[in-house]
Amino acid sequence: MDKPLTECALKLLDEEYTLDDYKGLVPRWCTGCGDNAILAAVQRLCRDEQLPPEKTVFVSGIGCSSRFPHYMHTYGFHGLHGRAMPVAEGIKMRRPDLNVFVITGDGDCCSIGTAHWIHAIRYNMNITVLMHDNGIYGLTKNQASPTSPLGITSRTTPGGTYLEPINPVSVSLGIRNVSFVAQAVDWIPEMLHDIIAEAFHHKGFSFVRILQRCPEFLDHRFDDWVQEPDWMLLLHHENGVRISPDLAKIYRNQEQHDPSDRNRAREIASTNHPMPVGVLYRDPGMPCYEDLRKPDRLYTPDIVKAAIEEEFDKFTIHPTGHPTG
Amino acid sequence: MNETLSSLSTFHLTGHWPGRDLAAIEQMGLRPALFSAYRDVEGLRHDFPLVLVNGEDKETVFRSLSDLIDDILQEIAPLGIEGEQIRKHVLGLEKEIRTLVYRGNKGTLLQLWEIAKTNRLSRTDDAGREPLDDNLNRAQAALGVDGELIGCDGEAPIKVLTHTWASFQENKARRFAREIEELTVKLSNILKADTMKSEKALGAEALKQSVGSVYEDAFDFEAMSDILGSAFVNGAVPEKRRRRIRAALAALQSQRFFETDGEETKKSRRKGVHGFVFDRPSRALEAFKERLPEMVKLVKAMTIAQLEIEGRYNEKTHDPFFRRFDERFLEPNDLGRFPSYLICLRNGVGAKTEKAMLPEVLSSGLPMKILVQHDDILEEPSIASGRVSPGIPGSQLATMAVSLNNAYVLQSSGSALYQMRDSILGGFKNGQPALFSIFSGLAGASPGPARNTTETPAYLRAAAAHESRAFPAFVFDPDRGDDWASRFSVADNPQAGTEWPVHSFCYEDEDLQKISEDLAFTFVDFAAADGRYGGNFADVPRSEWQDAMVPVDTFLKLDASAAAEKVPYILMIDENNTLHKAIVDVRLVDAAHRCRKMWRNLQELGGIDNSHARKLLAREKEIWEQEKAQELDALRSRPVSAPATPAPGQPAPVPEEAVADEAVSATVEPAPAETEQEGMPPAVSSDEPYIETPRCTTCDECTQINNRMFAYDDNKQAYIADQGAGTYRQLVEAAESCQVAIIHPGKPKNPEEPDLDELVARAEAFE
Repeated sequence: MDKPLTECALKLLDEEYTLDDYKGLVPRWCTGCGDNAILAAVQRLCRDEQLPPEKTVFVSGIGCSSRFPHYMHTYGFHGLHGRAMPVAEGIKMRRPDLNVFVITGDGDCCSIGTAHWIHAIRYNMNITVLMHDNGIYGLTKNQASPTSPLGITSRTTPGGTYLEPINPVSVSLGIRNVSFVAQAVDWIPEMLHDIIAEAFHHKGFSFVRILQRCPEFLDHRFDDWVQEPDWMLLLHHENGVRISPDLAKIYRNQEQHDPSDRNRAREIASTNHPMPVGVLYRDPGMPCYEDLRKPDRLYTPDIVKAAIEEEFDKFTIHPTGHPTG
Repeated sequence: MNETLSSLSTFHLTGHWPGRDLAAIEQMGLRPALFSAYRDVEGLRHDFPLVLVNGEDKETVFRSLSDLIDDILQEIAPLGIEGEQIRKHVLGLEKEIRTLVYRGNKGTLLQLWEIAKTNRLSRTDDAGREPLDDNLNRAQAALGVDGELIGCDGEAPIKVLTHTWASFQENKARRFAREIEELTVKLSNILKADTMKSEKALGAEALKQSVGSVYEDAFDFEAMSDILGSAFVNGAVPEKRRRRIRAALAALQSQRFFETDGEETKKSRRKGVHGFVFDRPSRALEAFKERLPEMVKLVKAMTIAQLEIEGRYNEKTHDPFFRRFDERFLEPNDLGRFPSYLICLRNGVGAKTEKAMLPEVLSSGLPMKILVQHDDILEEPSIASGRVSPGIPGSQLATMAVSLNNAYVLQSSGSALYQMRDSILGGFKNGQPALFSIFSGLAGASPGPARNTTETPAYLRAAAAHESRAFPAFVFDPDRGDDWASRFSVADNPQAGTEWPVHSFCYEDEDLQKISEDLAFTFVDFAAADGRYGGNFADVPRSEWQDAMVPVDTFLKLDASAAAEKVPYILMIDENNTLHKAIVDVRLVDAAHRCRKMWRNLQELGGIDNSHARKLLAREKEIWEQEKAQELDALRSRPVSAPATPAPGQPAPVPEEAVADEAVSATVEPAPAETEQEGMPPAVSSDEPYIETPRCTTCDECTQINNRMFAYDDNKQAYIADQGAGTYRQLVEAAESCQVAIIHPGKPKNPEEPDLDELVARAEAFE
């Protein structure tokens, strides 16, 4: 009743998107790869939210996970290694009406793209970021990444890694303007979907780290957590994700965690024994960069043209005579 | 009964004191005792004058001068003794400005600030002038706002409400203009893009012109035209769509509801923009109806524009929709984007018929904001017939509007405008109808010979009406919730929980001893401040004071038989600040009774001492007491030797063996969930294969083994689609390769399948 007329007029179209409307190319990920679960969860979200494909864009960097935009039947941008965030920020800045998602991996985000990641958190633009963390470079066939566990051997670390892995969740929680941080795992699809939905609904930069199995190059990394439900810690709260009764029966280890409690979020994030899953932190009051920098006038074609002319004028070479041949 | 008391009673009942020619109390300069502190309103620091703030800030549409000054001092004056001088100077200036306003000077804050500053400087000696000038300049620099300054006079309510309305309107206009401009630009872009792709634009001649003459020889425009012409594969915008876009553009550009200052619209000179301020509801309604088709046209154009811009206009669906489109399709949200209508009605100005239209307007749901300003709530033709009807029709208008259940209603005294600022703004926030019923405190338009009310300033009269419940403040917001508790509030009244506000009053007696007593400020006090009611009071000389004389508020509580022996009085003071007791006649007491009843009604609606709640509470209490009494009886009747009963909330002690048993069973029995594997299977016997579908991670392992046996559901999670489409071996292998171990192969169906024993053994791990 209280909807503006445009919405009513749009409803007349009676369009209903199904999961198939969001399916792009057939995924070429390995059989058993956790990326498939994430893709399924995202496609479910798009269908549940009835996001118009033409109003939705997936931006990625480089890596296995970054093939994601090809598999979505929406707009997409498969970009440069580590540079997904600036591209997404540019899109959001000029087209705040679009639903912007960033798909990145542990190598893409926490290694070459770290600077962009940190500053993207600081900008707090309304973007949903899904960081697929399998702890290994898969696309280039088995090199250690910043989140590889201590001691694993790979082609770049034949003697095993020497350093403790970076904790992307703790890092995110340490940045001044952080507004949404969550952790999910691909092997609890229900929670995965619910957490991504929470992230999507949050207005601001929503960072979701998704622990994901790589059956090819780091086969048994998460076996303990997959096989032993008590190694998981499910976070629930009325302002976060709720746990369904069926799930509660499997995963007994639960904690009611208020996502506004940043200090407790940091404590929870600091361990993976047990592995926390849920919304760790949320601050809906944090201003978004695109709102802070919203132009106070409308860019009409005349204004845009004048600005371009002005820029071109800086490079004008005034010919002294007529050009020859 | 002694002779004096009988005279007092006679006066009380008839308004005549046998054998005495009464001096009217107003000629004796008597005022209600509680007014003693307010002789000089000008000199008091209070909410007025108000600054009607210019500019966009919605939070501070109007501010009180003293609030502004407090903020400035907070900012620029250091705490403690160092800040003393600047505080003194700035507060002095504030006083000067207040005096200027009360003496009838008009202007903006800055203008009056300058005059007041000049006045102060001219009265200061040479030594003091420089620091004063410095301090006032610093304060002025910190001011940050300007706007018209108004005192609490007959114009205040109209000015405040009109200013608030205008400031909301400005914000709305800005948003609307922006929206129109945005739609216009984006719609024009569609046409422009179409033109750019047209044959004409890609023709050699047009290309040549766009390059200019200097380099024209360097290009082969024919070739360029051929290449560009073949590059655009999408067809041109169909003529029908182009016409639709042009029509929408024309409607957007010719709208007359708001001034738009965008560049696009400046070019075309437009006809006059509609006005939205009216002095009669009937005219506002007429205007609304007249403009309705225009409004429908604009909303339609805006909706079409939005759809076109998003590329979602579907001719098959939308054409018939927009053909039928008329005012019935307008939603409250669409109406809310248009200006609201402001209607100012003043006592006596609007004819009775106009007032009679108010219910119609208020229940219409149209965006009409109505201000009814009452200048004299006691002005009643029925006074001549010996009846005063306080607050009628003034306060009844607002209570009546509340019952329409559709309009925002605010009743307030002019003196409380600043206190009720948030509620006033609340009435303008959305497009619903609103009624603001405000008592200005002005005594009436035509002062008659018997009137001497001008002595009481409007602010004091308005405040007295507020204080005495003659014109109580309340807010009703139908959008606030579903119950009275969230929609209705009387919290803005002084001491809202009591019948009458009670103040402590100090004076000294004949022996110069300080006496303090609590005085209620009643409706009778409000009437006593009005010269027209002097005849309803009689000053009783001190020598004739009687024990039977009781304060009005006490008298009002007496039942009829007790009241018959008493005479009500109020305390008054004369110009020399001497206390008097004035007895009151029955007509005013009667009016006070009615006023009290009306206030009680409002209190109950506002949740104060609600009679339903009180009755319910009493009933529940009785039931509870009965239950407890029964429990006590039961306890008392028990034999004394019985084992001690546990305290409430404590579990009863359990025999030791039972505890031991429980401990054993807890350690031996595995947790039920682990054995059942989470309640997924029960419906299926363990012989049937099944998948815990909600836990599937879509990893393709099973579908790779057999994509007819295993398939994905609507959520892209696996289930067994056709068991017969594959072998038991495939089921077991799928179970083994499933990384989250959610495939349960069950028992083999085909006994002929080779290696069954081995497979059944492997499947056991997944039961």
